[in-house]
Amino acid sequence: MSDYLWDPSATSDPEIERLERLLRPLAAKTPPVRLSVRSTRWLTARFLAPALGVAAAVLVMVGATWQSSSRSFGWTVASISGDPRVESAPVGAVAHLAVGQSLVTDAASRARIDVSSIGEVTVDVNSRVRLLESRDGRHRLALDRGTLHAVIIAPPGQFVVDTPSARATDLGCVYTLHVDDDGVGLLGVQAGWVAFEFDGRESFVPAGASCRTVPRAGPGTPRYDDANQAFQDSLDEVDYGGDPARTEPSLAYVLQHARPRDAMTLWHLVSRIDAAHRGAVIDALAARVAMPKGVSKENVLRLDRASLDAWWNALGLDDASWWRMWKREFY
Amino acid sequence: MLVFPRLQPVLSSGDNVPRAAEPTARRPESSPAVGETIRAAADGDQDAFGRLYADYVRLVHAIVLGRVPRGDVDDLVQDVFLTAYSRLRELRDPAAFGSWIGSIARNRATDFLRQRRPQVELPAELPGGDAIASESLAVLDAIRKLPEAYRDTLLLRLVEGMSGNEIAERTGLTPASVRVNLHRGMKLLREKLGLP
Repeated sequence: MSDYLWDPSATSDPEIERLERLLRPLAAKTPPVRLSVRSTRWLTARFLAPALGVAAAVLVMVGATWQSSSRSFGWTVASISGDPRVESAPVGAVAHLAVGQSLVTDAASRARIDVSSIGEVTVDVNSRVRLLESRDGRHRLALDRGTLHAVIIAPPGQFVVDTPSARATDLGCVYTLHVDDDGVGLLGVQAGWVAFEFDGRESFVPAGASCRTVPRAGPGTPRYDDANQAFQDSLDEVDYGGDPARTEPSLAYVLQHARPRDAMTLWHLVSRIDAAHRGAVIDALAARVAMPKGVSKENVLRLDRASLDAWWNALGLDDASWWRMWKREFY
Repeated sequence: MLVFPRLQPVLSSGDNVPRAAEPTARRPESSPAVGETIRAAADGDQDAFGRLYADYVRLVHAIVLGRVPRGDVDDLVQDVFLTAYSRLRELRDPAAFGSWIGSIARNRATDFLRQRRPQVELPAELPGGDAIASESLAVLDAIRKLPEAYRDTLLLRLVEGMSGNEIAERTGLTPASVRVNLHRGMKLLREKLGLP
């Protein structure tokens, strides 16, 4: 055998080298997985459909087991490190977290929660979570402070985390949620989608994107983590600044520097920016993703839901109909 | 309780083809440091899982590429890692991570092919698509028709650019088995491509 076939650093074999040249464009190009907040982009937006397919298949497999376990009295908690506590009692090797109980970690402890049979939640240091609800098809935690990482394999809408300023609804995914002591939250999505909602203000956050949330204001505008810092700072100013003298130039920066993939961000801005600036946002969005046939600027200006959905579908992320369906079915 | 799919034999042989290296020819595939990384990832250390991803993405990609349409490969690769991440605590022997995730990849590809609707194959190259030469796709097609052991090993070498030693380390096969698979796989590939 040619040494080159075994060892690419050996003297090259022209025939094998030619095959390599032909085949190398097919090599893995997926970026390394990063599962930490604000530095994540390891799944393509197209992940969701197969993820939901997997979820459906898994649910069929677990069938009755899943049904019965989701009616059980609580979730299993295991200590990863340190001394996490359920209602001030040490978790030890394994404990149960019942509805109404809280799990608290200190600066040295972390814990893992098995969420019925639909996934798991890792609770980081200095965190407090409470189990609010657990029944068939509906599981709800509150994250009062700290950080959790959720890996959920279930149909959309079944796993919900309440924070002081927004509700995160799993749409089949992996995500990280952080809440600081002031109730300000940060959601980072590593796979699939998460809906972030407060008082009718919704953000749909895809893999590779994150979204802030602030008490009484609710979720901000989601943005991809690879957007530059000036773009993200400007967006925060638009979301939470409140001073027109600073908000207007920040909005101008966002509209000018948005990349084509930031159309996801611009789409969210359309419905949350004030009417005076909405036209400019619509123009900026149209410059990145053409307005679909049948959608008019006039309709978008008045926030016609069908027009917004149609434009969303044109972004090439996922069809809006499925999350509309999710809301109808689960809320 | 979810049960992870049984490991499939890594090696197989087809009719009228040289036999691949025996599946028993395996060795511990991971160093103690890799075992530590796997245990850390299983305990929720996401940076550790990131390292596993970087180390094993080429293995998973090659296995999936050898089985499913090219346009579906990236999604399935991510799917495989998501499954592995959520089930990592079920891996009893960290040293078997490569063969374990390889099995997930094979099973996931099989499930994908079983579940997808019948489709009309599109031309290999469409206007506006990424430009992969038709000759490249012809070679890929020829490799896909090889027995599994040769297919995976050749894709790891020729597509992903791994050395024989790297392939052995990632798959858990012995270097001798990898050498046999490369040699015999290359021989069959030459025949299929009509190379001298």
